[in-house]
Amino acid sequence: MSGFARRFLRNTGAVAGLMILAAILVVALAAPLLFPDSPWMMVADPLILPFQDGQYPFGTDMLGRDIGAGLAYGARVSLMIGAVSTAVAVLAGIAIGAAAGYHGGWVDDLLMRVTEFFQTIPQLAMAVVLVAILTPSIGSIVAAIAIVSWPPVARLVRGEFLTLREREFVQAAVVIGQHPGRIMLTQILPNAMSPIIITASLMVATAILTESALSFLGLGDRNMMSWGFMIGASRTMLREAPWMSLMPGVAILLTVLAINLIGEGLNDALNPQLRHRGED
Amino acid sequence: MTGAAMLLVATLTPVASQTRGGTLNLIVQPEPPILILGLNQQSPTQYVGSKIYEGLLTYGADLKPMPGLAKAWSISEDGLTYRFTLQDGVTWHDGKPFTAADVVFSADKFLRQVHPRVRPILNRYLASVIASDDHTVEFKLKEPFAPFLQLFGTDNMLVVPRHIYEGTDFATNPTNQHPIGTGPFMFQSWTRGSDIVLIRNPNYWQKGLPYLDKIVFRVIPDSASRAVAFERGDVQVLRGGDVDNVDIKRLEAIPGVEHTTKGTEMYSTITSMLMNERKPPFDNVKVRQAVMHAINRDFIVRNIFFGIGKVATGPISSTTLFYDPNVPTYKYDPKQAAALLKESGVDVFKYPIKILNYPYGTAWDRLAEYVSQSLQRVGFNVQIEGTDAGGWAQRVANFDFDTTFHFTDQFGDPAIGVSRLFLSSNIVKGSPFVNNEGYQSPKTDALFNKASSSLIPAERQKLYSEVQNALVRDVANGYLFENQNVTLYKGEVHNLITSGVGTNSNFATVSLGK
Amino acid sequence: MSAGSPITGAAPAQAPKATPTLDHTPAQSVLPQRVPSMALARFILAKLVKGVLVVLCVVVVNFFLIRLAPGDPASIMAGESGSSDPNYVAQLRTQFGLDRPLPVQMATYVLGVVRFDWGFSYRMKLPVLQLILDRLPATLLLMGSAFVFSVLLGIFLGVIASRTRYTGRRRWLDSLIVGGALLLYATPLFWLSLLMIVLFSVELGWLPAFGMETVGAGLTGWSRVLDITTHLVLPTVSLGSFYMAMYVRLTRASMLEVMGMDFVRTARAKGVAAPAVIRRHVLRNALLPVVTFSGIQLGQLAGGAVLTETVFGWPGIGRLMFDALMQRDYQLLLGVFLLTSAMVVVFNMLTDVIYRVVDPRIAFEGGR
Repeated sequence: MSGFARRFLRNTGAVAGLMILAAILVVALAAPLLFPDSPWMMVADPLILPFQDGQYPFGTDMLGRDIGAGLAYGARVSLMIGAVSTAVAVLAGIAIGAAAGYHGGWVDDLLMRVTEFFQTIPQLAMAVVLVAILTPSIGSIVAAIAIVSWPPVARLVRGEFLTLREREFVQAAVVIGQHPGRIMLTQILPNAMSPIIITASLMVATAILTESALSFLGLGDRNMMSWGFMIGASRTMLREAPWMSLMPGVAILLTVLAINLIGEGLNDALNPQLRHRGED
Repeated sequence: MTGAAMLLVATLTPVASQTRGGTLNLIVQPEPPILILGLNQQSPTQYVGSKIYEGLLTYGADLKPMPGLAKAWSISEDGLTYRFTLQDGVTWHDGKPFTAADVVFSADKFLRQVHPRVRPILNRYLASVIASDDHTVEFKLKEPFAPFLQLFGTDNMLVVPRHIYEGTDFATNPTNQHPIGTGPFMFQSWTRGSDIVLIRNPNYWQKGLPYLDKIVFRVIPDSASRAVAFERGDVQVLRGGDVDNVDIKRLEAIPGVEHTTKGTEMYSTITSMLMNERKPPFDNVKVRQAVMHAINRDFIVRNIFFGIGKVATGPISSTTLFYDPNVPTYKYDPKQAAALLKESGVDVFKYPIKILNYPYGTAWDRLAEYVSQSLQRVGFNVQIEGTDAGGWAQRVANFDFDTTFHFTDQFGDPAIGVSRLFLSSNIVKGSPFVNNEGYQSPKTDALFNKASSSLIPAERQKLYSEVQNALVRDVANGYLFENQNVTLYKGEVHNLITSGVGTNSNFATVSLGK
Repeated sequence: MSAGSPITGAAPAQAPKATPTLDHTPAQSVLPQRVPSMALARFILAKLVKGVLVVLCVVVVNFFLIRLAPGDPASIMAGESGSSDPNYVAQLRTQFGLDRPLPVQMATYVLGVVRFDWGFSYRMKLPVLQLILDRLPATLLLMGSAFVFSVLLGIFLGVIASRTRYTGRRRWLDSLIVGGALLLYATPLFWLSLLMIVLFSVELGWLPAFGMETVGAGLTGWSRVLDITTHLVLPTVSLGSFYMAMYVRLTRASMLEVMGMDFVRTARAKGVAAPAVIRRHVLRNALLPVVTFSGIQLGQLAGGAVLTETVFGWPGIGRLMFDALMQRDYQLLLGVFLLTSAMVVVFNMLTDVIYRVVDPRIAFEGGR
């Protein structure tokens, strides 16, 4: 483990990403302390420029809502949607991929057909349709993102399980009569975790991007102040008040960038053998 | 039209000094599904179709009828017979002559079946329509309907070619893809997703008209791109809704750009907040009054609609006939709102309400957010529910909502555009623009019904004044503001807005010059 | 190395291992070194049959899925007309056949589809197939140009980055390219589009911001091609830049991986110059994951185009789908799904075939 930590910390990009994400996380957690009012509350005059009013350093939007509060609360929503939808997708992907990879045969065939089916409709289109059908809400957005995100995880896990299943230590466990569920959980899964973790970290990033795209198309949750919503809401005023869409855009960019950097760092640290092959 | 016969003769003589020729570039937004006005009445279909089709009458800015395909008309003393004399020498775009039989077919067969707004009126009031000869049509009513003469524009009783539609399935008639009308412009092409092109009708019945050679309607789905198109000069006209209100002030300031809020008198659109009066908390009139006090409607107009609009004084717009400003007012006063809530005895926090979002653009999202905050401030327990057009229409049509917004057109006369929202006989599931809020008052029902059959304007005024007072006192729905529509156009476009239907007129006299 | 498709994030993470998982039956992946044409034909045929079944499944499932959405085309059309006549709504439902039992409607639809009758758009009163075919060229043009843009520029920059890193000269170039790709990769696509419109179209006035061509200009021949090309620039960059960033990272990582492999070391040890090694040995092998990913990308482009087509007013399929969804124009929406899923199936199949034709082991043998 210390080897992993050392390798990770040697990667400056990953450390920078970790610091950015930590800062965003702190702001998200501290949002109710920093901004006791709801981010929807109209607290001041509309369209105060950033850095003009000490009380509202980030300015206010067209209704006089504090953009700083929006950014802080938006961090909560974006991170939450990213994390929860990824968790759901990863769990589903692991369950399906493990079952397919371990059992093989018709189970594998059936599950892979289902996976293929889900990958046949372009994902953004599928997400848009799902949110429209379930009516836009935080739950439906998380569900839609999870539904379009799990198939690659399933394939990845299946692939790992297919390979690991043949390994000696797994075969040994089979021979001594361990329960398949236990073998999968205690023998195979831990050995397949690194690619899953790397993939999951990147899925968080794309989930945040997807949420912002849905909001942009008018399919966001109306009670949640998210960054995607803020861009969608202020895009009509892009020229009059560019700061309104610039700031949440930059927030998304930074968050996604940080998560990607961390993902790369994880990848490097978890796959040290790759470095020998020149991969970085 | 006090019962005495009235005759008007066509006085439309083209001004000689206009420049002929040129292409007018417009935006149609969103892209209409079809151009046959009878089959679709959405605003974009109106915009394009009104150049191709015509009705018997047109309407001035004061909503007075003017000649269209009819050059003269008269009404019998009892208000039951309307007789129209048609213009001479009118032909359809395919060369066939236009006759009284087309008018009869349109009113009696076509519109009665397909026109969602006109058919209930025709089915209720129209006894018969007959062609006395090729150039005379007579409408006979079952009972007097005062605003009948307001219905003969292209918005409502347009005329379609009988020789094409008679005996066919109107909805699937192949000509629907290539509309044939009598208007000054003929359909040329429609590249879906891109543009619709109309060309000059060389055989138009008003000699010398139209001036333009061509009209191109461009499809640009993003509003920011539409603003750019106007700035770059790719289109010469923007009408209300083409760009977001926020862009209008900036575009108005561009040298050589003209702007007007005229040309929407026929529609006099008004935005209301519907409160479902079937259940608490909105079944209590004091709660509804509190809502009116809790909302700063000036703020809404100024900050959400960027000053383009006017706070409404009641459910009848100030540019609709029989408007009366002398009604009780609800000024913005959260304290008064709280007091009224206390007086009502309703603990509003115990009844969580959801605002069903009106899915027609960002300003409406902001409106929901603003109202949500305003109501929370005085003690309501509010959430916003997102939806799209399909979800909204279904929920509102089935009365499945707590509160929502909509804007409705008034079509000049309260009997056409206003009473439908308040008559208890119009509490019918299936459409989002009936009495969806569930307002019930036998008194206003009686006033509305009397006013629509009265032929004496002074009497109608008195009845409608009473109606307005009652609706305002009861907060039958939360009238918020009168939508204004700004039309922006480049200085080279002349005669653009000349009537009460503005850009939905036929553009025969529009010209391009310096 | 790590990368993700716009939504899923995962597929390319496996790609650099040079074991693409498009084909998931292990027995099949052991192919003879030279693929006999009979085997190839059988392989394609099997894929084709499977593909048709998948597409049919997509249609049937979506048929029922769409009906779960609140509202129907009749209620929306009545809503838009400001009507107050419930009979009219009922009349529309009958006219659209929406009053029949759902299984009957589905059977009618599916039977129509297999006979290439894709139904009728309720709103536009035109056959669905015609509406889709009208919009298809615009989408294919945009997809194609975004694809070519992202693949060519992505591979080019990826090769440069890996080379500068490998040779150790001008390493700042590697950092610049990698950093730029990282940034692009984290940028919301629609946000980028808006910024580009403000900059290139409004402020600088260099490029048109919307539409596919200058309407009413009556251009023909080369001037028309030029006109369309200028309109194509911003949407292409907007749609392609994300994938371009992917290709940069994918190519670079894959190149570096191959460069570290034995046969390359051997070649270099034999004294072959670095550029020659890269051209002759490395690139061919390193491009396999790129091939895999490009198949995935093509499938996703049609879906991603919704955003791009909205912002740039591009008259394509993505926009048609979104409108059909919002208007509950069921048959039109199903038609778009049918087409896009068929496209995905075909692209996947092509990728598989290409992959098999240039199987890495064959190339490996040549390299030694």
